Amino acid sequence: MEWVEATGRSVTEAKNAALDLLGVAGDEADFEVLAEEEKGLFGRVKQEARVRARVRPAQPRPKAEGGGRRNDRKRNRNRGGGGGDRSKARSGGGDRERSKGRDSGEREQRRQQQREQRREQREQDREQPKRERQAARAGREESAEDSAPVAASVGAAAAPTPRSAPAEGDVVSLDAQAEIVSEFMSGLSDAFGLAGEVTTITVDEETREIQLNGDDLGLLIGPRGHTLRCVQDLARTVVQRQGDREPGRVRIDVAMYYAERRASLERFTRELAQKVIDSGEELALEPMRAADRKIVHDTVGEIDGVDTISEGSDPDRRVVLIPVD
Amino acid sequence: MSEPETANEVLTFLVKQIVDQPDAVEVDIESAEERSVLEVRVAPGDMGRVIGKRGRVANAIRTVVRAAAVRDGVEVDVEFLD
Repeated sequence: MEWVEATGRSVTEAKNAALDLLGVAGDEADFEVLAEEEKGLFGRVKQEARVRARVRPAQPRPKAEGGGRRNDRKRNRNRGGGGGDRSKARSGGGDRERSKGRDSGEREQRRQQQREQRREQREQDREQPKRERQAARAGREESAEDSAPVAASVGAAAAPTPRSAPAEGDVVSLDAQAEIVSEFMSGLSDAFGLAGEVTTITVDEETREIQLNGDDLGLLIGPRGHTLRCVQDLARTVVQRQGDREPGRVRIDVAMYYAERRASLERFTRELAQKVIDSGEELALEPMRAADRKIVHDTVGEIDGVDTISEGSDPDRRVVLIPVD
Repeated sequence: MSEPETANEVLTFLVKQIVDQPDAVEVDIESAEERSVLEVRVAPGDMGRVIGKRGRVANAIRTVVRAAAVRDGVEVDVEFLD
């Protein structure tokens, strides 16, 4: 995932601005403080604080994968260090895992068993996802994008894989994660007794969208999308049970709820932006969630003569449209 | 009064998706006037998963199960029992 840079009058403000750019909550991002703010006379800001942030990858990336790709893109600083760097990050993740549970060894074993069970079940189910997931499980050498399963990795995966640290190298590809969410959504729709149709859409390289469409899906959306957000949380919980996962997002939409909402928020934002341009006066929006603020920022970003800032802190954080010359 | 069948289905599905030991998942329905309590039992090691950090997972399950109960025409509470 890409790093973004943001500035603010304090480190906190800069971080908040970065979160808006990413459109995620504070606990889902990694930060690096590039510069602390410096106060001049009378509390005037001499230098703004600068931070860099990115959406926190699901798990530390294992060394085998992505080594080249990401480093190429990374600009500078302590990131370019290659293998050594990366393995440190990984063992750090391991520590965290260890301290989390008292008997994580046992739990790990159980999880492994569970994976085996799931795989067996899957083997009965379908041919394609099975191969994909086996490939994912095998700790592939190829980069994460090469999600097309190859014969060799299927063969490797078929062998039992006793490992001292089973989570390592066990990278579940984004498409395999999407498959899990897709099955989750059809299972849920069945349990509700609804005849929904589930489709998987590739939004971009690191985003998949699982759409559930059909009649009478309002119950799954709930008041102001509250139930849908809970469904999304639960789907994420299910995906997180997998070990290492390729970074990226699998989002869910039911009956085009988010799609329509996004479209109307964009329309609304354009109207407001025009108002700001015409009047030359700032306009503060209602407090919104990070994801919605991102839609506002992105929409205004395409319009000349008006800019956005965010102020306040969650859950009262809001976007302000400001006129620029 | 109708049984919260849909709620039960949805609850059982969700909990089984989340735990390590789906076979150990049990749901009992305590029916009462207008309001039923769905009692969930899971394997001891799975309780933490089902509840989640600050009860986040448990609350999400409650919300979705209550939505399902609308189809049954009943109100339900979900309780997670050790």
